[in-house]
Amino acid sequence: MPIPLYGFLQGDTIGLLILAEENDTLQTLARKLQDAASLRVAGRKQVRVVYNHKTMDTAITVAQAGLQALDRFDVIAG
Amino acid sequence: MLSRDDWLPLARKLDWDYSYVREEEVFPEVISGRPWLPHSEWKDWEESFKTSYREYVDNQYEKDMAVYAVRDAVGRIEDVQKLATPWMNSLKVHAAALPLAEFTGVIGNLRGARFGRDSAWRTMATFGALDEYRHTQIPLLLFHHLVRFDSQFDWTHKFYHTNNWFAVAARHFFDELTVGQNAIEFHIATNFVLETGFTNLQFVGLASLARESNDHMFERMVTSIQTDEARHAQIGHPVLETVMKHDPEYVQYLVDKWFWRNWRIFSILTGLSIDYLTALDQRPYSFKEFMEEWIIDQFLRTLDEFGLKKPWYWDLVIDELDIYHHMIYASAYSYRATLWFNFVIPGPAERKWLRQKYPKYWDDMDAVWEQISERWRTVGPGPENELAVHGTAMPTFCDLCQLPLSAGTPRHNTARVLAHDGRKYIFCSEPCEWIFRREPERYANHQDVVKRVLSGEAPAELPKLLTEYFRLTPETWGKDAHHGSYAWLGPRKKSAA
Ligand SMILES: [Fe+2]
Ligand SMILES: [Fe+2]
Ligand SMILES: [Zn+2]
Repeated sequence: MPIPLYGFLQGDTIGLLILAEENDTLQTLARKLQDAASLRVAGRKQVRVVYNHKTMDTAITVAQAGLQALDRFDVIAG
Repeated sequence: MLSRDDWLPLARKLDWDYSYVREEEVFPEVISGRPWLPHSEWKDWEESFKTSYREYVDNQYEKDMAVYAVRDAVGRIEDVQKLATPWMNSLKVHAAALPLAEFTGVIGNLRGARFGRDSAWRTMATFGALDEYRHTQIPLLLFHHLVRFDSQFDWTHKFYHTNNWFAVAARHFFDELTVGQNAIEFHIATNFVLETGFTNLQFVGLASLARESNDHMFERMVTSIQTDEARHAQIGHPVLETVMKHDPEYVQYLVDKWFWRNWRIFSILTGLSIDYLTALDQRPYSFKEFMEEWIIDQFLRTLDEFGLKKPWYWDLVIDELDIYHHMIYASAYSYRATLWFNFVIPGPAERKWLRQKYPKYWDDMDAVWEQISERWRTVGPGPENELAVHGTAMPTFCDLCQLPLSAGTPRHNTARVLAHDGRKYIFCSEPCEWIFRREPERYANHQDVVKRVLSGEAPAELPKLLTEYFRLTPETWGKDAHHGSYAWLGPRKKSAA
């Protein structure tokens, strides 16, 4: 079951619904959001994922990070 | 025969004591509104127009004849065809959003006409209902007729009957404001906040935009509507004054709540029209300049007059003047097929103007337009490339205002998640969450478009969502008015596949 998350990419004008898999790494999650917003925001190599006001290790998975359905995560310039 | 001055006061102000029902049963609090006060507290309710029914009808007849004369002179399809492309699309926005919103005003006024607490109030609300019916019929007549020349004008009738995301948001607003509202909250929210606070946006702002755009039909229509608004908006003041004597905190809450809700809707309706959907050389001012001159200062003065404070989130409104409608327009452009009108990209001249009017955050907005332009350069212009320059992921919406999560700035979106009663909600901004927390029983069961998709009520796949749920067709859904063909974009990029 994909996990619907609210993704906010720094530089964008709207939040997007991102369907994550439990086993997606946060790096993959960031990639999904950047792809979904690519019409409005140029891609960046160095980004950070922020969840609950904390910068997360992007090597861990969505499940390990504790992200749950309808949570907010942010992808910001790293 | 009695003279007018002899019978009118008696006819307008005819209240009596009930003998076989209690007053609380005639005017139940749930529908008349709170605080519930005996009629003795309302008996001095007064307004200054003091119109008789005959005078009302004579007057309105003259006004209607004047509108018909203007339509015959300048409202033909040939006249509309001459309008600049951006303004034509402003017209489509208002053709859809205005008429049936006015119709909800009929229902709200009829509630006042029955459940208002004094006979003079009820008399005036009866005229108010007739006014709003006129404001429904005139734009329906003038706009729907344009469907012959452009099928997007079909949304004049259709809009509120769809589950289009903007219709969901507009219904959420008007259903609460008017259709499902008690008489006291209706008159304070509609007459005092919307019609006194925001009406200048529509009736002064849009009327002068229409004049600059050579759209004399629209200009005369809104001016004619305004003459009615000026009268029935007066109902709100004596209602508010009486409630202020008994429960000033409640009045302050209603003003705070409804100023915010109005700000959300009107910053989109009018903001996009002024700053994007009017040709650059026909813009008399920026949306922000207009708000500052006609809304912000006047509203603060009115609050002061009635002993009210400015809403607690006031600094946020002032900040949003620089950014909110820009966030919305760029987001809506990139999801234009979800709407029923066409868009234009602000080119170098428009962006120079926008930067000058909105220096605070324009750099970040400019980067967004540059990126969108770059996509057109890559895929090349043409109707066949519309969907290659369009969002694909599901956009998201606020669980209070139902509008896109586009508040804050590109650097920091202000959306916030709330867990309530085992469910998760998301709000675009702090005031939207605050309103929800004050009255969760009112809002908690409403599902925004994303929740409807997730529950399976609405299709998840974008083309199906557009056609089956938003009720658009490939012919009527929104496009770039020039299909990406702008001289300033320069040649198509070689690297394109
Ligand atoms: Fe009206
Ligand atoms: Fe009105
Ligand atoms: Zn909101």
